[in-house]
Amino acid sequence: MIKVREGFGVWLTGLPASGKTTIARTLEKALRRRGLRVEVLDGDEVRRNLSPDLGFTRKDRETHARRVAYVAKLLVRNGVAVIVGLISPYRNFREHARKQIGNFVEVWVRCPLEECIRRDPKGLYEKAMRGEINDLTGIQDPYEEPLNPEVTVDTSKESVEESVNKIIKKLENLGYLPST
Amino acid sequence: MSRKVLIIGLDCAAPELVFEKFLDELPNLRKMLGHGVHGRLKTCIPPITIPAWMVMMTSRDPGTLGLYGFRHKKSYSYDVWIASSRSIKHKTVWDILSERGLRSCVVGVPPSYPPKPVNGCMVSCFITPDATKDYTYPKELKGELEARFGEYIFDVEFRTEDRDRVLKETYEMTRQHFNVIKYLMQEKEWSLFVFVEIGLDRIHHAFWKFFDREHPKYVPNNRYENVVKEYYKYLDREIGDLLNLVDDETVVLVVSDHGAKGMKGAFCINQWLIREGYLTTKGKPERGARLEESQIDWSKTKAWGWGGYYARIFVNVEGREPQGIVPPEDYEKTLDELTEKLKQIHGPNGEKFDNRIYRPEEIYDELNGDSPDLIVYLDNLSWRSAGTIGYDTLYLSENDTGPDDAVHSEYGVFILYDPKSETGTELQNLSIFDVAPTVLSILDVPVPEEMKGKTITW
Repeated sequence: MIKVREGFGVWLTGLPASGKTTIARTLEKALRRRGLRVEVLDGDEVRRNLSPDLGFTRKDRETHARRVAYVAKLLVRNGVAVIVGLISPYRNFREHARKQIGNFVEVWVRCPLEECIRRDPKGLYEKAMRGEINDLTGIQDPYEEPLNPEVTVDTSKESVEESVNKIIKKLENLGYLPST
Repeated sequence: MSRKVLIIGLDCAAPELVFEKFLDELPNLRKMLGHGVHGRLKTCIPPITIPAWMVMMTSRDPGTLGLYGFRHKKSYSYDVWIASSRSIKHKTVWDILSERGLRSCVVGVPPSYPPKPVNGCMVSCFITPDATKDYTYPKELKGELEARFGEYIFDVEFRTEDRDRVLKETYEMTRQHFNVIKYLMQEKEWSLFVFVEIGLDRIHHAFWKFFDREHPKYVPNNRYENVVKEYYKYLDREIGDLLNLVDDETVVLVVSDHGAKGMKGAFCINQWLIREGYLTTKGKPERGARLEESQIDWSKTKAWGWGGYYARIFVNVEGREPQGIVPPEDYEKTLDELTEKLKQIHGPNGEKFDNRIYRPEEIYDELNGDSPDLIVYLDNLSWRSAGTIGYDTLYLSENDTGPDDAVHSEYGVFILYDPKSETGTELQNLSIFDVAPTVLSILDVPVPEEMKGKTITW
């Protein structure tokens, strides 16, 4: 069963600096090459536009995740392939997004915390450890690991291409993309 | 007052499911975690029902036991023998307890057919041919059980597309087993009660792809999506009933012989050996043909393999095998060469495999019985080994011996529940070898020096 005309949502969840944005952008290119209409809703940018009023309390994170899921739902039902890159640390947020979006592929962008701290491209971990931020996921705030994601990628062991290929393979298996 | 031990063995129980995914819906197991110690239990190599339960019950490794799986190749021949209770020459915990006059009830611990004498009682395991055989010790126990519970069910045929039947029969079997256990727990005298339920292994193999979203064959919103979870919840209720039957002096263990994970596919090990020039058959085999001894051109065969959750490789050694061609002096070289090549095996799209290749003599304390020459985990068991031949590919999406969606993994479950303990602690570095010494220590019986494991304390 090929569902090429339907959209789908790829929901990348993981710690800060785990590699969500890199994967989102590489996956975006791969899907565009296949002729799909693609939108990326990635952490910082989408937050600036959609939730400038919100902070990082659990409630604010949930409100933001709900907004992102709603926008994704609108796009998916119009045939767009939506890639969301959001820490989305709580399982119940992600379950809500799953229900909203329907054609949903949860991707756990897994990376050991030590490696994320080593990467720290935005200097967030450093700030958190200096006490300048007190709500960083992985340091002060919890991250609830996915229990049954569609795909797990390990960015400390795999290349970006390997991770993206795993996601594409799963999209093919689920019938969201035609097999090559 | 002396303590007692109840061991609830759940074949194939997976720590990821028990400790994480389903835990919120398993109230009795969750309660147990709060009183005692628990953690992932590293199993033996290979992580297979036979030998793993006997490894657990003897605290000896498979090499020492001379038990490397269900089937074995006979020495100095190409014939096969099947493991049974007769294969076990080392003392189990209940053998040791019997010598000290302590009584045990042993139900379904593989391999326990034919049943052996014990100071207490025994019901044999899933390898029992059928209920017409004598499957209990003492012999009269069979009639006692059948009068109350009907014909004893040893196993279900699980490699079939008729999933409804597997589900129905597995529940019938497991319900009967728990009824038998509850009866024996109340009617017999025991210091150790140990039983193994095989149903969970069958449920995993038959239904894994229906709930694991990472499985290549997972289909969203399928009708079997909750089968695995519901079966765990059912087991949890049964465990709750058992907990009500024991007093505070009884320490209760929930353990598994290995874990489980989704099968990514099957790798055709003999087809690969043919391609690499190690194995030659007479004529062109049909697709999916079994590798029969008679079809092998032994004069041109250096090595052949067996399928299963892991691959076994045998070298056709001159003077050891009836038609061996590898000179003994080239044996090591052949194994080194094979090991290097096996390491390079990758996925169908070039994906890296985490292959693990073991030399039995390097991983076991002793090498008894008929060991394979190499033990191979393909992609750390995510790919099973297909022994059949005649394919134009090395990769199958299905198991070659019938529908199967799960493979085994190297960590099982360990829960030790002591009603008298006020705390629950997760432990690291637990090993399948630790179970027997721990049981003996609880029962105040000295641990034999030969046992490999440590006593777990809390």
